[in-house]
Amino acid sequence: MKESYELPSELTIYGVLDARTALLAWLEEQADGPDDVVDISAAKVAEIDGAGLQLLAAISSMGQAWRLCDPSERFSDACRALGFGHWLKGRPVRGHTGASK
Amino acid sequence: MSMDADEDFIAQAMPAFISEAAEQIESIETLLLELEEQPDNRELLDSLFRCAHTVKGSAGIFGLNRVVEFTHHVETLLDRMRDGTIALTPDISTLLLQCNDQIKFLVDTAADPSADTPEQMDLRSDLVTRLCALTDDGAAAKTATAQAPATAGSESAARVWSISAQFRTDTFRNGMDPLSIARYLGTLGTVVAVHSLAEDVPPLGTLEPESCYLGFTMELETAASRDDIEGAFTFVMDDCELDVVAPESPSQKMARAIEEMPETPRLGDLLVSVGAVSQDRLQQVLDSQQHTPGMPSVPKAKLGDLLESQAGVAPEVVAAALGKQQKLRESAPSEDRYIRVQADRLDAVINLLGELVIAGAGATLLARESRQLALVEANLHMNSLIEEIRNGTLGLRMVPVGETFSRFRRVVRDTAASLGKEVNFEIVGGDAELDKSMVEKIADPLMHLVRNSLDHGLEPPQERLAAGKSAAGKLVLSARHETGAILIRIEDDGRGINRERVLQRAWNRGLVEQGVVPSDDEINMLIFEPGFSTAEQVTNLSGRGVGMDVVRRNIEALRGSLRLISTPGKGLQVDIRLPLTLAIIDGFLVGVGKSKFVLPLESVVEVIESGGQHIKVDNRGRHCVELRGAVLPVVRLRTLYSVESSLPERVSIVVVHSTRGQYGIEVEVLLGQNQTVIKPLGRLFKTLRGISGSSILGSGEVALILDVNSLVELTTSADAGAAQPGGASIGGGNLASAASTPNL
Repeated sequence: MKESYELPSELTIYGVLDARTALLAWLEEQADGPDDVVDISAAKVAEIDGAGLQLLAAISSMGQAWRLCDPSERFSDACRALGFGHWLKGRPVRGHTGASK
Repeated sequence: MSMDADEDFIAQAMPAFISEAAEQIESIETLLLELEEQPDNRELLDSLFRCAHTVKGSAGIFGLNRVVEFTHHVETLLDRMRDGTIALTPDISTLLLQCNDQIKFLVDTAADPSADTPEQMDLRSDLVTRLCALTDDGAAAKTATAQAPATAGSESAARVWSISAQFRTDTFRNGMDPLSIARYLGTLGTVVAVHSLAEDVPPLGTLEPESCYLGFTMELETAASRDDIEGAFTFVMDDCELDVVAPESPSQKMARAIEEMPETPRLGDLLVSVGAVSQDRLQQVLDSQQHTPGMPSVPKAKLGDLLESQAGVAPEVVAAALGKQQKLRESAPSEDRYIRVQADRLDAVINLLGELVIAGAGATLLARESRQLALVEANLHMNSLIEEIRNGTLGLRMVPVGETFSRFRRVVRDTAASLGKEVNFEIVGGDAELDKSMVEKIADPLMHLVRNSLDHGLEPPQERLAAGKSAAGKLVLSARHETGAILIRIEDDGRGINRERVLQRAWNRGLVEQGVVPSDDEINMLIFEPGFSTAEQVTNLSGRGVGMDVVRRNIEALRGSLRLISTPGKGLQVDIRLPLTLAIIDGFLVGVGKSKFVLPLESVVEVIESGGQHIKVDNRGRHCVELRGAVLPVVRLRTLYSVESSLPERVSIVVVHSTRGQYGIEVEVLLGQNQTVIKPLGRLFKTLRGISGSSILGSGEVALILDVNSLVELTTSADAGAAQPGGASIGGGNLASAASTPNL
């Protein structure tokens, strides 16, 4: 069982630059391919905003499959509000390569 | 709802919110007061509701729960009033005004929750209880607090709206967050479904995480209107593609189709509506127009022509319809658009413009000296452009004084109520415009004078009836333009100034030497002396003896003057004269010896000639000439200001009008019209009378700007102590009173 990635407690516009770098580095190290489901934990997330959610959406845009684990209440709340409720089902989120920007 | 964003973010966007909200709150107050006078005015009520709703909406975006919760109750009451279930009574009006104060308090302290004292909380819950008592018809359980805004307007059926929003990349950078907006929408009703639009989010590797690529679609069940829903996007309008679709029943669809009909009706419709052509016939013609072979080089036949030739519509009728269509098109109201500009930036531009005016004048002077016609012409053209820019830019700073005046309605209402007096308050000429900075600075002095009239001037109803007046007092606040200045007048029909008591007080306070009796007007002006108060009983409004002297100082600082006309028993009139702007005036340049003076062009009536040396003047330069059968008093500037030069054979007299009527100013050279940038006089010359400022001419010379009103007073006051007709005056120099009152 692989380790899950622990999202920082504050995943907001002020920290997304660093968070992206860290997440990207971790993914390169961990993921064995797009279909290898990686676990991302949001247990400690206390502050979350649209930019933070967008960061996770960008994992899917890479084509990478991932799964959300132990989302904090705050995090779940935000997902539901912005229409990312499907992340909360504990099932792997399939990647897609829709964006071509 | 809560706010995830950092406090920094709130702090950044808060000033904009607070200033927006402050405007809304001000409008609410104005509207409420207007509504009191015309309770049946539906439009006012609707505007009132919109204002309250806007405050609530934008507060919601900022996560200011206290504002949202409280305003919600106000909104509910207003909604009931719109339904017609509750009518506006004076009590409700008072309650709403108090609520508005509370909203203002909440908004002002939005950034600092600790400012919310227990007293304010008590007051607020008391207001909420009273609001709920009104809106609850006894049926619903009283839930005084923590009501979800979703219940707003629950009488109208909730409908499911489809909202789709795609945000642009700068949304985050502009301090906005789709998440907050989605959450706010949730408070308007029930979110049936929400889906993120994340397809545009680039892969993590190439993602710029501070750019926004998100969007969402939402099915929202709510009774809220389209405006309410779109209101949630107010702050991101520029950063967002928004589509709000209402689920429509056939009748709604038609209503919307009508709403969305083009502003200008189509020609055919116009003609059908007057019966010039039948709908069927119109359709036939339209079809034939459509089926005319589309020759690229030949434009399609015009409908008007076809109707004439095929449907037999008279050409005049078609022409009239076309004209009407054109007119409608032109008169279609253009949407009001505003840009918020920092006052500092505008000031900087105006300052530069002042320099440009001076530089332009310099260039014109050089061009004239060069005698090159083309150059002179080019300069003239440039100067006329500069003048247009000047007028336009100064116009940007002009705001109607009415906005400030209407603020007083509330003060008058509350003050009169607390004093047990009845007052009819009138505002006249509120659309007269004045420089924004002046308006700001004049508000406080005006407020004080208005309060003073209410407190000391107007009598209680019994006293008024006993004096044979109507029970309700009259207070008129008016503004009008008057030769390059604005005249603001506060007029009441109260008891006027009690001169005996004023004099007695002045003796007691040592403001006037015991036993000395100055003229009536001078006694009137004593109320503006520091430390003077005649109120027998100190009220919390006025009467502490602080203020009236400050009022005078503030007005003088604006180059304005103050005048009192008191008729004991009949009322008091306070006239405040203020220059329109502090920056630039149109001037008339004249010369005396080597000195240059500028007269405000608005005050110049005409120029006449006169024999210089042959006329005898007194030691202050005064003499008289005959002008069309009337005697015109004239002042010779050379003698008045001791300008050294030899007096020429012929001189010119510039006839000007002042508050005291027309008089002449004798000068030696006329130098023509000149745009004058006012520079304040140095501290050393502040006491100089008759001069209001200085200006630098294009040639680099300094010219002094004459103040025609204070100049006339300077010359008439030579006979010390002589009563001046029409009232006492300050601000223009009265040397006699300046000598006797050290505070001037």
